[in-house]
Amino acid sequence: MGFDSISNSSSPLPPFSKDLAKKKRTNRSARLKQSKLDVRREQWLSQVKNKGCEVDSSGRGGSPPSCMQIPHMQNRLVETSEMRSREEENDNSSIHDSDLESLLNSPVGSSLDSNASRKDHPRSSSSTSSDCCSRSLSEEEEDDGCLDDWEAVADALGINDNQQNPISEPPVKPEARIGSADTELPKRSSGVDLLKTESGGVVPISQMNSRAWRPDDALRPQSLPNLSKQCTFPMNSERHCHRAIPWAWKSTISQPSSCPICCEDLDLTDSSFLPCTCGFRLCLFCHKRILEADGRCPGCRKQYDPIHGDVGFNTGATPFKIGRSCSMISRS
Amino acid sequence: MKMVWTMLVIIQASRARLFKEYKEVQREKAADPDIQLVCDDSNIFKWTALIKGPSETPFEGGVFQLAFAVPEQYPLQPPQTGEICLDILKNAWSPAWTLQSVCRAIIALMAHPEPDSPLNCDSGNLLRSGDIRGYQSMARMYTRLAAMPKKG
Repeated sequence: MGFDSISNSSSPLPPFSKDLAKKKRTNRSARLKQSKLDVRREQWLSQVKNKGCEVDSSGRGGSPPSCMQIPHMQNRLVETSEMRSREEENDNSSIHDSDLESLLNSPVGSSLDSNASRKDHPRSSSSTSSDCCSRSLSEEEEDDGCLDDWEAVADALGINDNQQNPISEPPVKPEARIGSADTELPKRSSGVDLLKTESGGVVPISQMNSRAWRPDDALRPQSLPNLSKQCTFPMNSERHCHRAIPWAWKSTISQPSSCPICCEDLDLTDSSFLPCTCGFRLCLFCHKRILEADGRCPGCRKQYDPIHGDVGFNTGATPFKIGRSCSMISRS
Repeated sequence: MKMVWTMLVIIQASRARLFKEYKEVQREKAADPDIQLVCDDSNIFKWTALIKGPSETPFEGGVFQLAFAVPEQYPLQPPQTGEICLDILKNAWSPAWTLQSVCRAIIALMAHPEPDSPLNCDSGNLLRSGDIRGYQSMARMYTRLAAMPKKG
């Protein structure tokens, strides 16, 4: 088939061996080009995923954003690919047979095969089941004919070479993705490999974003528990005992601005004073009065510690403890 | 001299606290329709509470008047209501409680009476012996006598 067309299109009746050699050379060069292409694509995808992962709060690996970014690329590349594919149609057809043999082994061949099949035998596009497949569709378009253009585009994007995946992986990818890929077998196998590469590509991203969501982060998923309840737990504020932190926590916790006992305003010292683990805040004066009378926390009715009355002061990384009673108490 | 000054400061603190509660009562009049707290015009340490008998209790339909005598050391000391035997008014008091919360506690007590510390011995006996109906009819009688407007 393709073999025949070659024989017809090229010089009349070339020797079989020469034709075969030429076909093999073309095949090899095409494979090399394809491999190079795939590497570039992988790099570009990783970069896109990086941007996508940061935005995508559902943690789906950034595939939707990448899908969004790809269409405009896709449109541009489809045009060029169609132009080039017409030129290369013959070449594709010529290697059709050999590729059919190595179809299962080399997905590269299947991609070229798909190109040919698409042009020659238009098929209903196979289901782009997952978002990966939709993305792959665009890649396939890029694959199709404009190998050189793709490289130019990839270079223009400034792909980071550090993210280059081993050559063995990329060839596994594209084929299957290629939404319109005809054969199901390579699609399935490379579908699995696709996930592997995706996961491999995602891992570095997750490592980059390994820190937890901040409570004031606007992109923090709503499904995560509300930290404001946890923030009111005083142990947290005690652990992060810095001068600056109480002010930061104040924005997230509703701290009383006045003492609930005497209704006096809480000054700096009072605000950083935490006599009880339940978090009930009061001014030092009332605390002293309570110690003299009942000695129990108004919030939880647990006995105050009369000796270490100032154990809750946020004066540094570790609570400031003094052996004797605090200055307020001793002054009386 | 210092003692006097301290007392003045303490009284000032209780005044400020009572004033804050007064403002809160004015602001949230509709929050708790069963409780109406009224402050004496001349004395902020004297309050009167009008409490509606909770529904589905023998006290239903009655409006009970309570007089609160707020001590100088309030809120470190609980307000006094005479004879009501309620733990938060005695040993379980906390400065975090307010007059409003005390009223709510009293309503809760009416709904779930404690026979072990009765003000009315007869009521206590009836409840302890298990005569719920007797207790309820007695409570209803007292409600009509003391907590409802007299007819004629």
